Amino acid sequence: MKKAENLSTRQHRIRVLGGLPMLIIGIVIVAVLAVLGLTDGSGNTQRILIKMCLYCTMACMWNLLSGFTGMTSLGQQSFIGVAGYSMAIMTATYGMSYVVGWIVGGAIGAVLALILSLILFRMRGMYFAIATWVIAEALKTWFNSWEFVNMGGGMFVRGRPDQTIIFVLSLVLCVVAIVLIYFLLNSKLGLGLTAMRDDADAASSVGVNIFRSKLICFVIAGLFCALAGGMYYLNNVSVYPTNAFGISWTVSLVFIVIIGGVGTMAGPIVGTVVYIALDEVLANFPGWSNIILGLIAILIILFLPDGILGTLQKKLHFEILSQRRFSKE
Amino acid sequence: MIQTIINGIMLGGIFAILGVGMTIIFGIVKLTNLAHGEFVIIGAYASTLLANALGVDPILTLIITIPLMFVIGVVLQSVLINRVMLQGSEPALLVTFGLSIILQDAMLLLFSADAKKANVPYNSSTIPLPGGLYIPVLDLILLVISLVTILVLTLFLRRTYMGRAIRATSDDIVAASLMGVSIKKSYAIAMGIAMATAAVAGLCVGMRWTFYSSSGSSYLLRAFGVVVIGGMGSIPGALVGGLVFGLAQAFGGANYGLLASYIVLIIMLIVRPQGLFSK
Repeated sequence: MKKAENLSTRQHRIRVLGGLPMLIIGIVIVAVLAVLGLTDGSGNTQRILIKMCLYCTMACMWNLLSGFTGMTSLGQQSFIGVAGYSMAIMTATYGMSYVVGWIVGGAIGAVLALILSLILFRMRGMYFAIATWVIAEALKTWFNSWEFVNMGGGMFVRGRPDQTIIFVLSLVLCVVAIVLIYFLLNSKLGLGLTAMRDDADAASSVGVNIFRSKLICFVIAGLFCALAGGMYYLNNVSVYPTNAFGISWTVSLVFIVIIGGVGTMAGPIVGTVVYIALDEVLANFPGWSNIILGLIAILIILFLPDGILGTLQKKLHFEILSQRRFSKE
Repeated sequence: MIQTIINGIMLGGIFAILGVGMTIIFGIVKLTNLAHGEFVIIGAYASTLLANALGVDPILTLIITIPLMFVIGVVLQSVLINRVMLQGSEPALLVTFGLSIILQDAMLLLFSADAKKANVPYNSSTIPLPGGLYIPVLDLILLVISLVTILVLTLFLRRTYMGRAIRATSDDIVAASLMGVSIKKSYAIAMGIAMATAAVAGLCVGMRWTFYSSSGSSYLLRAFGVVVIGGMGSIPGALVGGLVFGLAQAFGGANYGLLASYIVLIIMLIVRPQGLFSK
């Protein structure tokens, strides 16, 4: 199996775009985004960039779970919603700064991931996927009837800072998330992860500590989804159970990662740009956005199963950042 | 207490028929159909609107909705899902997820966000029992419809050639295809049957509760719960799972019924993920 893969690698001469050139390109992209966001007078560019950074953070995390470790979660909204509510409770109920709300939200997200791992790691594949969804739905039902958080009436975040501050924090969060995933996947743990995704039993028999590797990824994903969710609801101000724990979060993340390319390092980034652009255009056609998104997702699965970036990489024989981590070989 | 148990058992039939469609797809096609909830809601709209348009009892609309949904299921499986299934189970799961969000928003556009219900004259009539207990007539009728559907389905799978072919496909694809069974045709028929049961489930949902265009996901999770409790692909298991869910719903009441069902499901996933009746 490995021999065959090496052969095909040699035949096609896959160029790995990484190291210094990619670092420079990355810095230039971040700098351009920062300048775009900070010099924006009307605030509209800033608004779109905030959305992009936050969705990109969450999508990269979903990709880490589904594309690299084989844990397809349909319930990342659990962490997003819990963090959104932490933000609202800390700022509105206890009158603290949004910084406290953000950190508490992240911490609760990470702890929630730890606790849920006890339940979820007994399951694999579609059981795992559905269980994550059931947990999110249970949280939604609970928050809907919990008086402390004003039941289904929702809560409001107090003391929202200037949008520029939210933009800077979102951009930093997104960059940190991508850099962290890059180093994680290029570490020994990362190799173990992909081995685990492709064949959990085989990986386990050659000494990959499956439980620990999965746990690290799941907690990181929980933490970052919570941080992104907290920032989203700080920006959004109002938080309701139906949208905070809604399946529409997962719809967006799945869409972004599929369109970009599951199991590719830069796929979620490409996917986010396409998704946010589509989302902005489709906002003019209320009611149709999910229909069109769903159709595009199905067409992509049918005709470009590796996503936009995955297909380009295979056709043009290059890989961005990480090497030999395709989901289907 | 006893009344709550009676109510729970009555509701169990509806949850069983919800789960049967899901368990067939799980067991035979080996697919997690995330659009099953939307299929049920389509059935609910079809029955409610037809009954209103024709001025007949909603139950009679099954004569139209069952064959209609069966055909839709066969076409859907042949045209779309059979193709993605070649790529593996994950892409197929995501395609049904895509279908689910498309259908949900399509129904919102077509039928608006208003609550709907199929009303009948015997909505709140009851049959009195000794000791102050009673049986709701509507629930009894729905229970009978569900049980008859499940019985017919079991007979079809056991006694007919097509049913045997479908079961053979579910047991061993290679052996079945060597014996001349068309796998794709079996899958298509199985999806058609699942859609037909969704038509019956939709009728029950539409007559028993108010529903919205967005109700699909909560029924999907219940259907999934029934499957998990009963075991994948097991029709008797779906009956037991339905009963468990009906009782959880009845004891939880209007406020905590859903939460109670989810908690039962999560506990079940932890303790015995393969289900009670798995092979």
